[in-house]
Amino acid sequence: MSSTFIEKYRPKNYLDILGQDKAVQEIKSFLDQFPKKKALVLHGQAGTGKTSLVHAAAKENNLEILELNASDLRNKDKLEGILKPATEQISLFKKGKILLMDEVDGVTGTDRGGIPELVRIIQSTKFPIIMTCNDVWQSKLSPVRAKSKVVELKPLDIGTIVSILSRVAEKETLNKNSQFLKLIAIKSQGDMRAALNDLQSYSASKDIEIDVNEKRDTQESIFIILKKLFKERAPFLNLFDSSPLSIDEILLWIEENIPKEYKNEALAKAYEALGNADVFRGRIYKNQYWRFLVYQNIFQSAGISLAKSSPLSGFTAYEKPKRILKIWLNNQKFEKKKTIAKKYARHVHCSSKRAMRDFNLLRPILNNPKVQKQLDLSEEEIEFLKK
Amino acid sequence: MNSTDIWTEKYRPSKFEDVVGQQEIIKRVKSLVQTLNIPHLLFAGPAGTGKSTLALIIVKELFGPRWKENYLELNASDERGIDVVRQKVKDFARTKALENIPFKAIFLDEADALTKEAQQALRRTMENYSNTCRFIMSCNYSSQIIDPIQSRCVVFRFKLLEKKDITAVMKRIADQEGLKTTDDALETLYEGSEGDCRRAINLLQTTASISLNINSEMINMILSSTKPKDIRVVLDYALAGDFINARDKLLDVMLKESIAGTDIIKAIQKEVWNLQIEPEIKVRLTEKTGETEFRMTEGSDEFVQLQALLASFVLAGQGKSA
Repeated sequence: MSSTFIEKYRPKNYLDILGQDKAVQEIKSFLDQFPKKKALVLHGQAGTGKTSLVHAAAKENNLEILELNASDLRNKDKLEGILKPATEQISLFKKGKILLMDEVDGVTGTDRGGIPELVRIIQSTKFPIIMTCNDVWQSKLSPVRAKSKVVELKPLDIGTIVSILSRVAEKETLNKNSQFLKLIAIKSQGDMRAALNDLQSYSASKDIEIDVNEKRDTQESIFIILKKLFKERAPFLNLFDSSPLSIDEILLWIEENIPKEYKNEALAKAYEALGNADVFRGRIYKNQYWRFLVYQNIFQSAGISLAKSSPLSGFTAYEKPKRILKIWLNNQKFEKKKTIAKKYARHVHCSSKRAMRDFNLLRPILNNPKVQKQLDLSEEEIEFLKK
Repeated sequence: MNSTDIWTEKYRPSKFEDVVGQQEIIKRVKSLVQTLNIPHLLFAGPAGTGKSTLALIIVKELFGPRWKENYLELNASDERGIDVVRQKVKDFARTKALENIPFKAIFLDEADALTKEAQQALRRTMENYSNTCRFIMSCNYSSQIIDPIQSRCVVFRFKLLEKKDITAVMKRIADQEGLKTTDDALETLYEGSEGDCRRAINLLQTTASISLNINSEMINMILSSTKPKDIRVVLDYALAGDFINARDKLLDVMLKESIAGTDIIKAIQKEVWNLQIEPEIKVRLTEKTGETEFRMTEGSDEFVQLQALLASFVLAGQGKSA
């Protein structure tokens, strides 16, 4: 399996890290002066190189990394059970280690007692602890802030991003002109990871060159719309105007892809918004009252985008809506069931829908040869009932 | 009459006197028919309470042996668009009735499934052809029928059948078919029917296809085999935070068994109380479930609404309420 550009071109040492000179100096001095300060918090928006910096620092100093990230549960017991012993044991093969708590702002209410335990561990640790987060100024992190050195990583400037992109493009033998790379850089808004992901996704279709000048006026692909909707946090209202798809088709795309982007609260909020959009869609059809479209649009755009609490980074491979296809395939498979239900329904004065719904209950009745004759079932239909 | 071995048809009453339950309605409709003074009729009420049966009795009483030539039956939930009203209904309504009958009759079953647009078209048709044609409409929710139509009809509200009514029907059929039933079995048949006579009869016939001695264990076995089975699996995925699997499984269940969203929601509503979560959260989830069911009856997309509900279960699995 080919790895993503993100992994492939992750900086290996301090020299590889571009555009964050100040932060590099800070982490150097933190490690040199340890245990003067026992913990370091790296903060900054997504894709500025926080995690990469820690990995580079570990390589430079021949240290091992023990990492707990947001995918692990980080409540008191877990920290006590895993992190605490690690702060006391000596690493077997290397000189020492760094304990990395990635995305500490992800320590949530479910990680009960997580933050206070973290503070206790910081006080007693024999090894440097480095934490990363997007927003260091949240109140729940204030006890951690007080015990740690705090270093900010600024969003990368466009020039830096372009030079990294062109280096990657060269190694991958992608023939991309500098205008194109600059466009990706501008779109990334300082998020290196997003920029690399974009480069990779465009590189997959080698012959498609994107005309920079056309950026505003062309129809935006559904993938770009989804990306904006899910990755940015903004009260979008005109987002769907540039799409050739109808708002109802877009609803299906959103429905399919919400769980790829959102978890937990954001997931629930997003589906609540989508549910509201759908309610208004239903009212439009039922009453032919098109003014309701305004509401559908707001819930479906702003409602979905604002469901998350902060913008997301990273690449997501969006998928086509599968539901309609599944329904179609299913209908093919159960074609006979439908025709049987229809014959039955006419015979007993009810709707085919009702007959379909009661099919399991009716099956033994329909298997009666006399009934089959009375309903004039075909051989194929009788065969279907035997299964 | 066609012979049939489907009991819901075989034992469908063909005279006013044979109808079980809804006695007030029967009395009023009967007197309307006897005076030949029939307005348009709207029958509102739950499934299996006698709406179609009554409509059929009316046309048979009115038209005698040749009722079929003067009667059109349409099921709006199968043919719900405006074209049905424009073509089938109009074509039928505009020609005069045969023989000495002053008008024809159209039975529009599940009329609440018609779009508002189709209902508007219907309203004109009802007026224009009222000399030659009478409409009998049925619906589950009269609120889904536009006011101008309601005001052109005499509305009759059907109630769920009571236990004694369902039991009387069951006993009569059992007698004729030579079945043995216990009191227990009759009780279970009633519970399984949920006041829906069609369902009760189907349940009885399906059970009888196994044995002529009907007991409650057999009925329960059949009932459980017809219920949406994997709802618990769906909810367990959601509670464990695995939304994608929960959703895929749900769609699977709905498609494979052709289960309507409204039946899924019933099963979810019952299952909530069996889950291992805090009682307060159960109450919150029930509120969400109720709202979801309401939205479905209002005409929302069942699967979108069910996904929103599943997302609340994801939160519930973490001890949070949405």
